[in-house]
Amino acid sequence: MILRLSALALMGTLLASTAFAGERGPPTAECPQGVLTLSLLKPLNNPPQPYTVKMWEERNKCMKLDISEVPFAQLADKIAVLAASGSPPDLVQYDGPYTQSYAAAGILLPLDQYFPPGLKEDITRPTLEEHSFEGKIYSPGTQQTSLALFYNADMLAPLGINPPHELDKVWTWAQAIDAMKKCQKGEGDNVSVWGLAPSRFGAGTPGFVYRDLLFVRSHGDPKAPEDSGLYKAYWGLSRDGRTATGWINSPESIEGAQFFSSMFNVHKITPKAGIPNAFQDRKACFTIDVSYFVSGLTNNNPGFKWGVTPLPYVRSPVVHTGSLTIGVFAKSKHPAEAAKFAIDVSTGEYAEEYIRRSRGIPVLKSLAAKLDEFKQYPLNIFVEQIDRYGHPRPPSPNFAQYDKIVTDALRDIAYGSDPKTRLDQAARQAQPILRRN
Amino acid sequence: MNTIEKIWHWAAVGCFVGPFLIMLALFQYFPVYEMLRDSLYDFSLLNLAKRQFVGLENYRAIIDDPDRIQAFYVTFMFAVGVVVTVIPVSFSIALYLNGRLPMRAIVRTVVFLPVVTSVVVIATMFTFLYDPNNGLVNSALGTIGLTRLQFHTNKHQALPAVIAMMVWQQTGFATVLFLSGLQGIPKDLEDAARVDGCSPLQRIRFIVIPLLMRTTVFVVVIMTVFSLQVFAPALVLTGGGPEGTTNFVAYDIYQLAFYLQMPGLASAVSVVFMAVVLAISLIQMRVLRVKETQA
Amino acid sequence: MKRALQIVAGIAVLLVILAIFFAPYAWVVASSFKPQFAIFRDLKPISVATFFPNEPTIANFVHLFENRGIGRALVNSAIVSSCQVIGTLALCSMAAYGLTRIQFKGSNVVFVLVLMTFLLPIESLMVPLYIHVTGLGLADTLVGVFIPWIASPFGLFMLRQAFEEIPRELDEAARIDGAGHYRIFWSIILPNVKTPLATLALVTFLFSWNAFLWPLVILHSPRNHVVQLAIAQSVSIAQLPNWGETFAGATIATVPLIILFLFLQRYFVRGIALTGVKG
Repeated sequence: MILRLSALALMGTLLASTAFAGERGPPTAECPQGVLTLSLLKPLNNPPQPYTVKMWEERNKCMKLDISEVPFAQLADKIAVLAASGSPPDLVQYDGPYTQSYAAAGILLPLDQYFPPGLKEDITRPTLEEHSFEGKIYSPGTQQTSLALFYNADMLAPLGINPPHELDKVWTWAQAIDAMKKCQKGEGDNVSVWGLAPSRFGAGTPGFVYRDLLFVRSHGDPKAPEDSGLYKAYWGLSRDGRTATGWINSPESIEGAQFFSSMFNVHKITPKAGIPNAFQDRKACFTIDVSYFVSGLTNNNPGFKWGVTPLPYVRSPVVHTGSLTIGVFAKSKHPAEAAKFAIDVSTGEYAEEYIRRSRGIPVLKSLAAKLDEFKQYPLNIFVEQIDRYGHPRPPSPNFAQYDKIVTDALRDIAYGSDPKTRLDQAARQAQPILRRN
Repeated sequence: MNTIEKIWHWAAVGCFVGPFLIMLALFQYFPVYEMLRDSLYDFSLLNLAKRQFVGLENYRAIIDDPDRIQAFYVTFMFAVGVVVTVIPVSFSIALYLNGRLPMRAIVRTVVFLPVVTSVVVIATMFTFLYDPNNGLVNSALGTIGLTRLQFHTNKHQALPAVIAMMVWQQTGFATVLFLSGLQGIPKDLEDAARVDGCSPLQRIRFIVIPLLMRTTVFVVVIMTVFSLQVFAPALVLTGGGPEGTTNFVAYDIYQLAFYLQMPGLASAVSVVFMAVVLAISLIQMRVLRVKETQA
Repeated sequence: MKRALQIVAGIAVLLVILAIFFAPYAWVVASSFKPQFAIFRDLKPISVATFFPNEPTIANFVHLFENRGIGRALVNSAIVSSCQVIGTLALCSMAAYGLTRIQFKGSNVVFVLVLMTFLLPIESLMVPLYIHVTGLGLADTLVGVFIPWIASPFGLFMLRQAFEEIPRELDEAARIDGAGHYRIFWSIILPNVKTPLATLALVTFLFSWNAFLWPLVILHSPRNHVVQLAIAQSVSIAQLPNWGETFAGATIATVPLIILFLFLQRYFVRGIALTGVKG
């Protein structure tokens, strides 16, 4: 009996202690309507940063933020389960390409009705494209970035290799692989320095669409006729996001996947399993990474001279845009206040402060024009790539599923699967999912 | 019994058995019912309200889709591989531990350690053990002079690698079971056999194995049920690949529901899976019970 | 001569078994005291250094406690597991009493129904159970982590067998003295099943501490995470898992159980043997 009572008491305390916050407090002198607490879900180590939140709370005295953090790998899952539950948070920092999925499911609130005049025109094209669905805008965007090729200058100089810094002189992948082969040290099971570092995205396994689909897309051509394999390879998915067959497995896509596979299985310039810190530990001459890596290398000097060259191409250069961005859950009980937070921290002084500290690329044209850093090497490479040939990952209301299926397919292809068979299988798997609602 | 006694009687039953049954109904049977119901619908976890009745369409999808069939096949192969390997290995170790050799307690402890370690920790450990570049196993192989392996990056090696991992974990459990079975064999039987001139191997074949049938049945059934439910290695180590060679049914269900946003199909797969596990367990118990009584 | 060979063969087998089962642990624990580059360096070739750090450091552990909230996760795990043990013991012992001591129609049917749920794989139930538990308002709570499992078929099975062993004469004697069901349960039955109860408590604690999938699904906020979740999530998009930290996490998650196991080995082993042999 005593055992049972104490168990019940324990349960009661536990229930009480883990209750959800996010409501209005009692009225005070300063805030006659009480202090409103907005709840925010965000991934660890990502914006909105504590200093941003503090700044906002100081300027909006009657509102506070209650923040829940999850590791990035769990973010999409958490959003899915929270959306299914009865009481999701007010605000969420999510991965841009999922905008269409969330909007189509009706879990995000359109924000353009809250935009101040002029904001829409100030947002760069790829960002606006990514965060819109059926004519409505769901997020102003926090930052942008793209991928480029970093290199260890100390290793390349003695070999006489000088990668270009200008977009007009960008390498082809043939040139890049040539350089990587020359730089690689060791063979077979005993490679001490790899040409290209393994992907550091996800768990370090190859295939991550953000990075590795680019190898495939680059074999396409956006200027080819719309029913050609070349055109379809460039886009990876029909423009309405509902057809994969013929797009992800067009002949040129398969060619691209073949090339991707050759990096692991023919030229062998990159390993199939992740090696943490490969580039910084001098275990690789080149690495593909985002603009934040510039901050990383500047703040933590790796001990050698490094440089950045634009991402190589095969037929058509292309980079993926898209980053984390802030949105408002449709079920929020305080949409106007939540929208205010979302728009505030993405614009004006908040945006400027964040961009200054993080060196993410601004999504606001006015901000990009203001900051000199982005007109100079190395950050200008990332900015210009986005401007000229930056595109979101293939947008679709079912992007998350497409992402998973294609990532798995590319991973298997890196491990040695036949590209045609595997991509055909991916198209077959994705097709019914893409056709839903 | 008169009425008052009857009421008291059933009240007592309710008090003692009631809480258990209520919790069971609430958290096991009710979800099973919901699972059966969900398998007839198509919906997404993002928006539960938007569901569409599709009848047996999900079940037809399972039969038509080679990926679903592959998941069942791979899981079945995995269970067979684990059981077929664990039984002889743990039996041998149990025999060894039953003898008079030194350090038995240490060996028994060490062999049992993996059993008390969580599957996640083990899967994580093996992710690093199996790392093709920097893993301990490849380093060991390299040091001895054998070729290094590719484990989960190779579609032919992935499943055996996961089987090896499961065998590593479960051997201790089966060993302990066999050991207590062995210790239950009457000493005089063994002594009589020795006096009669039977060699150790003959003793094992004609006395030990038949007497351990019951334990063996138990081990086989339990190992099978555990193995069919394998999940963590797919989540942590292989991601179901390469080419679906480690896409176990439990992981397939998880992927379908949470990544591919098809919980209706996931529920249908779950229903089929439950039926298959139940069938296999019943068949096993029937077949092996027969063998046991024969022995 | 033959004897000597037997001994040598015996020791060789012993070493192989120890190597296979213990070496991975030794590597992981030793590596958790090394910085990442040292882990890689000590691998080619294998040497004593692989298993013994040259310059041990506790930086990995410190980082986990300070930045990843492992301390809090350990506390959460302890709370959840203790509650699950208490709940399971309470519910299963009462139900076992009801099934064995109170003769009522249908007790066998009940037992079979319960046993069938044993064959249900957790993953199948994941989605409806998730929606269900969320509906009860228990999402992202510690209660939600353990409450679906306290009606344990395994526990019922085990205790039912243990209760059957107790001679009915004891019941009869007590009933003649005027004791009702509750009295008999508390004073006669329970004191006689201390060992099975201890074993069930241990096994339940083990399963609860090591559970991963359900906590993964039902818990969201890092402050509620149990230790298995906390160590599985040391990956951010910005970097690959740090080997030393991951190993330190695995060590932290496992050490409490190993200590428990070392001290209470015989209960574990006996309990498992009990269920097995009775089959």
